[in-house]
Amino acid sequence: MTTTNAPARAGQAIGRMLLQGGTVVALLLLIIFFFAMRPDIFLTFVNVKNILYQVSILAIIAGAQTVVMVVGDFDLSVGATSSLAGAVAGAQMIGGAPIWQAISVALLVGLIVGLVNGVLIAYLNLTAFVATLATMTSVVGFAFLVTEGTTLFNFPAEFNELGQGKFLNIPIPVYFALVISVIIWAVLKFTTIGRSWHAIGGNVEVSRLSGVNVRRARLLAFTVAGLVSAIGGILLAARLGSASAVQGSDNMMFSVAAVFLGMTVIKSGMANLGGTMIGVGIIGVMSNGLNILGVNAYIQQVVTGIIIILAVTLSGLKTRER
Amino acid sequence: MSATNASTEVPMALEARDIFKHFDGVHALSGVKLSVKTGEIHALLGENGAGKSTLVKVITGIYTPDSGEILRNGESVEFANVRVANRAGIVALYQELSIIPSISVAENIMLGEQTPSKGGIVQWAELRKRAQEQLDRLNQKIPLNRLAGELSPVQQTMVAFARALATDARVLILDEPTASLTDTEIKDLFAVLRKLRDQGVAIIYVSHRLEEVFELCDRLTIMRNGETIITKDVQESNIEEVISNMVGRAAGQLYPERGTATTEVALTVEGLNGRRVKNVSFTAHKGEVLGIGGLAGSGRSELLRILAGAQKHSTGTVTVGEEALPSSPSVGKALDAGIALVPEERRSQGVILSASIQDNIALANIPSVSSLGIVSGVKISTITKRGMLDLQIKARGPHQNVGELSGGNQQKVVLAKMLARKPKVLLMDEPTRGIDVGTKAEIYRLIRELAAGGTTVIAVSSELPELIGMSDRIIIMHEGQISGEVEAAVADDELLLTYCYGKAN
Repeated sequence: MTTTNAPARAGQAIGRMLLQGGTVVALLLLIIFFFAMRPDIFLTFVNVKNILYQVSILAIIAGAQTVVMVVGDFDLSVGATSSLAGAVAGAQMIGGAPIWQAISVALLVGLIVGLVNGVLIAYLNLTAFVATLATMTSVVGFAFLVTEGTTLFNFPAEFNELGQGKFLNIPIPVYFALVISVIIWAVLKFTTIGRSWHAIGGNVEVSRLSGVNVRRARLLAFTVAGLVSAIGGILLAARLGSASAVQGSDNMMFSVAAVFLGMTVIKSGMANLGGTMIGVGIIGVMSNGLNILGVNAYIQQVVTGIIIILAVTLSGLKTRER
Repeated sequence: MSATNASTEVPMALEARDIFKHFDGVHALSGVKLSVKTGEIHALLGENGAGKSTLVKVITGIYTPDSGEILRNGESVEFANVRVANRAGIVALYQELSIIPSISVAENIMLGEQTPSKGGIVQWAELRKRAQEQLDRLNQKIPLNRLAGELSPVQQTMVAFARALATDARVLILDEPTASLTDTEIKDLFAVLRKLRDQGVAIIYVSHRLEEVFELCDRLTIMRNGETIITKDVQESNIEEVISNMVGRAAGQLYPERGTATTEVALTVEGLNGRRVKNVSFTAHKGEVLGIGGLAGSGRSELLRILAGAQKHSTGTVTVGEEALPSSPSVGKALDAGIALVPEERRSQGVILSASIQDNIALANIPSVSSLGIVSGVKISTITKRGMLDLQIKARGPHQNVGELSGGNQQKVVLAKMLARKPKVLLMDEPTRGIDVGTKAEIYRLIRELAAGGTTVIAVSSELPELIGMSDRIIIMHEGQISGEVEAAVADDELLLTYCYGKAN
């Protein structure tokens, strides 16, 4: 029965996608626009590789943000956590610690920040806004303490290779972003904890009364977000070959933006990893395209804000019509 | 069943013994007894506020009783939370809490601990198979992949019901399960319930629809004022007996004298249609207290919200005195025309708990306490003092936060806020919900004083004695329409209940 219906169902799915896909269309239009403006540069292999390289760390942080936003919360501390993780790894290596130890400690730090967020929100009932704003503030402070307010550099070449090296002519962070995205997607889609996150994001009370362990699930979501943010931060430090207390902070706003854009892609209006990656793509294409056109770099931030407003307004109109 | 020997006592599937539970000094349950046999459908009946929901919540571990004992198969049990009760086979299906709109039908059915998994990985094939089995048991053809939020309300109820079945409930508690179902669907549901009963499931059936109870149930228990009045076989009872047991006898001199109504028309409603409101027409007079009754979901609250400009209507007119309200109303326009609403949910719709009495009262009166956009502290304090004095609000002062006041005093703040607008027509939705008896009497007196001063009061209440006691005239709604109208002086509970259930005159 399922096999005979498959083509019809696929057709339906495509139709639905086009109907829902205002955001996807926006991404395509952006690509066409920049290609038309600079056909000699924009869609060349080198430039596409550049775009992927530029968005790879944002993609990882946005993946972390997607997890908490599926649960119906959000995490303002992801950017700060990534900075702190990069700084901790850097400080360790400068102090002579082996690379594996530096990375492990940095990951542990991210895990702990996430755990603290989770305890505050799931068990002490703070709102996500207050809790993650507070941890963000403290975490930035820790990062300044670790870096002593300076920029750390002179990391071992093997470490920098993680962020700057290439495999098959593709930068290594792109592989990291790909693998982490697929893992997060699979966890959200196939595991009991992932489905619990979806249920809680849909309706906390029904989930609780149906026996979902809401507190534990929310705690886990924030812990995962902290850990994944730390991975992003370590890769960023490797890519730049340096670590400062604020180098990850832009990624917080952009990660929320990417998830918001992605929420407009699917019918249920929930955060979803595929959509988030489309959002990351829009942000990446825009910033790269505007760079190529020689537009002032700060304008991309202005435009990103406007695009979020447009996308969310449009998806709001769609649900209101229903 | 194998246990045929009558001398060996078969333990009850579920038994509640002498359950006491109180909230803020008010007794919600006083010595409740309920016993449900394995393999029976047991109706739990009572008016709104009789304590049915509280009892259900005690049984399912949401509330902990102050004292008393719950027995499952004859053994004393304590449920710390819903999950523990679920594991003991006790599952409640609530009318208002049904589905998660953003996930699929299959996942809704197999939610939480029912999700089949191996090593933390969801077994989708198994999940879909078991979800389909539950839908088949209900004779429902609902696509498993659809988002539950896209289903009709009927289908959503069925999905919620399938979830209860999926948990392998041995004691199943259903709260108004047929509220949004058609006759065919009700027949299917009843067939399933009978099948479950024959398989040894104990079912507690909470419903306002007495005909259904007599068609479906084996035994019934009636509650009133937090006590269990009677338990007997359905076959040995009849609707009249049930109603008189549900109603009991009304309280004494809680209500002030009637007789302030005039013949001058203050409000005319003609052919009003809107969400849950169908072709409603009536008039209300100056100085009259008009009560509006009906079951939950009958459209009574929606009617008030339309009159107050808080909800749109599609057709119909509302006229205050001589002045017709604009066809696209807003709360502001309704207030300007002299219609004010004291809403049902006091804590979420009536007052801002974190703000002071003074700020709450100022909120609805900004035009009269400000000029050129500047708010006058003197004017605010004047109207606040007057309101607190007139309504005898018990508080430390105008600056105390409303959240610190008792329910009765919070309600008086809502009243003061609206009365400062000097409304011609005051709408009140459940004017005494969650208020102790002493303050109730005060509210009734206030309502009557307002009427004596020429205000028209239209009050919705789900408590029939209150409806009769405080009103001059009563309108009853059923499924959005007016199903009956009666002078309060000659009304009795049985007549009103008949109207509530939509029976013809």
